[in-house]
Amino acid sequence: MTTTAEEPNAELKTRRGVIARSWDFVLELWRVLTRPSSVFALGTLVLAGFVAGVIFWGGFNTALEITNTEKFCTGCHEMKDNVYAELKSTIHFSNRSGVRATCPDCHVPHNWTDKIARKMQASKEVWGKIFGTIDTREKFRDHRLELAVHEWARFKSNDSLECRNCHSADSMDITKQSPRASVAHQRFLFTKEKTCIDCHKGIAHQLPDMRGVPGWQ
Amino acid sequence: MMIRSATILLAFAIAAGASSLTAQTVTSGLRGPAPLDDEGPAPPMLPNRNTSEKEVRNYPEQPPVIPHTIDGYQIDLNGNKCLSCHARARTAESQAPMVSVTHFMDRDGQFLGSVSPRRFFCTECHVPQNTANPPVSNDFTDIDTLLSRSSPGGRR
Amino acid sequence: MTSPKLDRRQMLKLEAAAIAAAAAGMPAPALAANLVTERNNSEMKWAKAACRFCGTGCSVMVATKDNRVVATHGDIKAEVNRGLNCVKGYFLSKIMYGHARLTQPMLRKANGKYDKNGEFTPVSWTEAFDIMELKWKEAIKKRGPNGVAMFGSGQWTIWEGYAASKLFKAGFRTNNIDPNARHCMASAVAGMMRTFGIDEPPGCYDDIEATDAFVLWGSNMAEMHPILWTRLADRRLSAPHVRVAVLSTFEHRSFDLADIGMVFKPQTDLYILNAIANHIIRTGRVNKDFVAKHTVFKRGQTDIGYGLRPEHPLQKKATGAAKPNDATDMSYDEFAKFVSEYTLEKAAEMSGVPLNRLEALAELYADPKTKVVSFWTMGFNQHTRGVWCNNLVYNIHLLTGKISSPGNSPFSLTGQPSACGTAREVGTFSHRLPADMVVTNKAHRDHAEHIWQLPEGTIPDKNGAHAVLQSRMLKDGLINAYWVQVNNNLQAGPNINEETYPGFRNHDNFIVVSDAYPSVTALASDLILPTAMWVEKEGAYGNAERRTQFWHQLVSAPGESKSDLWQLMEFSKRFKIEEVWPEELIAKKPDVRGKTLFDVLYRNGQVDKFPVSDIEPGYANDESKAFGFYVHKGLFEEYAQFGRGHGHDLAPFDTYPRERGLRWPVVNGRETKWRFREGSDPYVKQGTDVQFYGHPDGKARIFALPYEPPAESPDKDYPFWLSTGRVLEHWHSGTMTRRVPELYKAFPEAVCFMHPDDAQEANLRRGDEVKVVSRRGFVRARVETRGRDRPLRGLVFVPWFDESKLINKVTLDATDPISLQTDFKKCAVRIERVNLS
Repeated sequence: MTTTAEEPNAELKTRRGVIARSWDFVLELWRVLTRPSSVFALGTLVLAGFVAGVIFWGGFNTALEITNTEKFCTGCHEMKDNVYAELKSTIHFSNRSGVRATCPDCHVPHNWTDKIARKMQASKEVWGKIFGTIDTREKFRDHRLELAVHEWARFKSNDSLECRNCHSADSMDITKQSPRASVAHQRFLFTKEKTCIDCHKGIAHQLPDMRGVPGWQ
Repeated sequence: MMIRSATILLAFAIAAGASSLTAQTVTSGLRGPAPLDDEGPAPPMLPNRNTSEKEVRNYPEQPPVIPHTIDGYQIDLNGNKCLSCHARARTAESQAPMVSVTHFMDRDGQFLGSVSPRRFFCTECHVPQNTANPPVSNDFTDIDTLLSRSSPGGRR
Repeated sequence: MTSPKLDRRQMLKLEAAAIAAAAAGMPAPALAANLVTERNNSEMKWAKAACRFCGTGCSVMVATKDNRVVATHGDIKAEVNRGLNCVKGYFLSKIMYGHARLTQPMLRKANGKYDKNGEFTPVSWTEAFDIMELKWKEAIKKRGPNGVAMFGSGQWTIWEGYAASKLFKAGFRTNNIDPNARHCMASAVAGMMRTFGIDEPPGCYDDIEATDAFVLWGSNMAEMHPILWTRLADRRLSAPHVRVAVLSTFEHRSFDLADIGMVFKPQTDLYILNAIANHIIRTGRVNKDFVAKHTVFKRGQTDIGYGLRPEHPLQKKATGAAKPNDATDMSYDEFAKFVSEYTLEKAAEMSGVPLNRLEALAELYADPKTKVVSFWTMGFNQHTRGVWCNNLVYNIHLLTGKISSPGNSPFSLTGQPSACGTAREVGTFSHRLPADMVVTNKAHRDHAEHIWQLPEGTIPDKNGAHAVLQSRMLKDGLINAYWVQVNNNLQAGPNINEETYPGFRNHDNFIVVSDAYPSVTALASDLILPTAMWVEKEGAYGNAERRTQFWHQLVSAPGESKSDLWQLMEFSKRFKIEEVWPEELIAKKPDVRGKTLFDVLYRNGQVDKFPVSDIEPGYANDESKAFGFYVHKGLFEEYAQFGRGHGHDLAPFDTYPRERGLRWPVVNGRETKWRFREGSDPYVKQGTDVQFYGHPDGKARIFALPYEPPAESPDKDYPFWLSTGRVLEHWHSGTMTRRVPELYKAFPEAVCFMHPDDAQEANLRRGDEVKVVSRRGFVRARVETRGRDRPLRGLVFVPWFDESKLINKVTLDATDPISLQTDFKKCAVRIERVNLS
């Protein structure tokens, strides 16, 4: 007990030391940065800063965009053999006009902050990949409800934003829709009573066990 | 050009006449014009009918055909897409016809609280309809027509 | 008409409906549909009948009015279907009314007389039978009795099959008669005979409601046996502990209910079956008491060939091809050693099915607490080792003792309405006689000749030509007069291009086809006989669970159409016994001299015993009216003599009109649900508990049978497997269902189902036209990468219902060498794009 009692103090001391030293470093850096340059011209410095920024920002975004491709998503067999295989026989993969959705179109928000938030969530998926959480079809099926519920919740909370990125209610010509779709969109979509995902679950992938899901029996 | 196509037609007619199998007095209608020892082209795939208009039934016991497409509709251990509109509780919102009351009966004729599991797979009896025209028609006569025929001047 | 004013919108709607109705070929109902208040007018006559389609054997109620069928629905009182029908069954009302039914005999003629290259010309029945008689007598004169042959069906009614079998085997004295059931469940028959020594399933449909697990081996029940599927779905969804395992070479609708879905590489089912037996042994779950008391072990003949023509290299190479059905004794330990190399790991590797699923499957069988029903259909039976597959699945049930008790049942489903009742029980096969007897057994022939009151030696002692052999012999000009009834072999049989079609058009041959519609088989023939169908005649069918069901004639056949039964019996009048029997045979029974085959076979004091007045009042019976006695009852009662007292007992004829079918053996008025089980089966001796009385020692056989490769596998020239099969909405070759517009439109044309990645790799897309080409022929079809059938990469599936795409021009006529049933599920093809010109 006695020895351990002393430890926090010791730790505190060292920690204080670290903080103090860091603070000194920050102050020094500030002084260097705020002092006018005596070697380079201001323009050069600005340009160099800009270029560095572009490189850094570009590299970050490029890396991010690589993870935003279907090729990256389907690089894992978990995606390729389950959800991607299922997608192939749906209208979001092949249709009359050939405009198709890739994985990130629906599953990664287009807006930057949401995208970063989603990417941070994705760290859990990396964890799942490493530990083989869904590395067999059976395991995937067992987790399917959980995974689907996450996505449904996201779509619900952002008013099906990723659907609407392509399917704008304002641009819908209901005379070109089937009578059933036309009526349903007029009653529920245009009145904002429902959002896309309320009715269109399971259009791109197979459904999980739907017991207890509202609207399903 | 006219002459050329006429010659082709003539040649075709002669060829057809020469081969006994292409010039039959009975044809199946379902086979198409290809002789039995050849295979003809496959016509393009046509879409299914996609409306909400009901079709008349041939007799009251006939399961109604599905007037709309059901592409990608899932009916399996996880759920039944059809019931998300046609289940009793869903029909107010969907305005779709409710599944018939007979579907609530189990094997012993007892009514259950929901659709009987034996009726779970809708497509065993209810089928969508392609827009292709059947090459052979059907001479079935429904009861109303028979009755009006049997009473001269109409029965009503 | 004083109809109330309609506004424009209503008018448009009505017009649209009228146009739609007219387009669908339906009469537009009158505008003001009032209630019919006169009861007499709205009353229809309802009667029961067996469904015309598959072997499930649903009972339907049929409404008639003014000599026409006006409605049908599932029979509430029937145990099999309890008020349900599948979509085909619900449209039975329309199957007889397809436009342009055949209503008069049609003979190929040129310049007023028969000409093989002539055009079909209407003729009278007399003229039709005149030319048939001439051609029959020529063929018999030229080649002896085996110059004539018949190809019949599991769609014959019981009496039709019986009358045909008797006409050919005893009348013309040839065993060249086979049913299309040969293509359907011959492997199930041979499997039963080998394992149990007696044909037809030990269990019944009641097992469905009693079991804990279903295993579907090559059976897409969701489409092919829809009403049994409703019972299976009912059980699975109402009892959550129940498990469903589905095995197939492609994913199909039955996978929608599968807890364990398994797509395996073609032919590797042999590995999986043996691996399960090994798993049971290795984990110590053999029911030792049952195995010791009720089974013996046999090592089956191997390297048995593929039922191809003898000159085929594969046939020449096969060392066991001469005696494929042989087996030698072995011990349990030897058997255990034999299967020990078939591990689940190896099965997983060979089949491509993940190991965990195979383990889950094996556990369903191994776990002593789980009751299991195995169902199989064409995936097993249409297999060059189909009999083996049947034997191997029985092995698993026997090793665990899971058989002949409620919920434990190895069960072969049948595809035709009377594959059991007519083909198997009546014995219309080229090797069979009624009640499981065979023509090669002297005692069996003697027994049949005794019942038929015919002299010893009437029935020939050699097996006749089976389905595939008939086609080959026609092509080779060895069979010259051929009669096809109730089937469409030019669409349904294998390798049409190389065997069947050349045989039909061979100038030495005269081909007769009896049908209601101008099928492709009819169109390839020389004489078409218009035929009464379904409730246009009195009939009885036997379904897959041994249930015999009867129906009355409810309407008359159109034009000059006659039933198959009338055709067979009327044609038999054309032959004097001296023209078909040798003098030494006649000498054994001189009183037949001068008589016709009709007199000897049908007016024999037995078949003509019952007067027309026995017919239930209120029902027509055209054949009995024509012949002057109750033909159906007479044939049935004579036939029933074969089975009574021999484990195949049928109830008296008069019982069946009152019952929704009875499952034989029916002893003392009681039907049998589980065979071989004491207390349920009256033939089991008291105190034995279980007795497999088909074999003299009362024991079932467990067979050691290895994996052997298929006859043809994909290679670089033909890189895809082709599997053929059916779809829910069409029955077999579609001659009935494709004439019902609603069913036509539900699945208008056959397509080539393939994996989207295979399509993409071949630069194909959904809807592209392709040629499906094998070494034998091709068809043209559209690519389908979506929908109900989802093959893995490397396999394509093309249904065979569509006569505008005769996929059996592509298939191979390799058969199981024991059952002689064709493998329609495996051959090698390539897919070629058809370019738009």
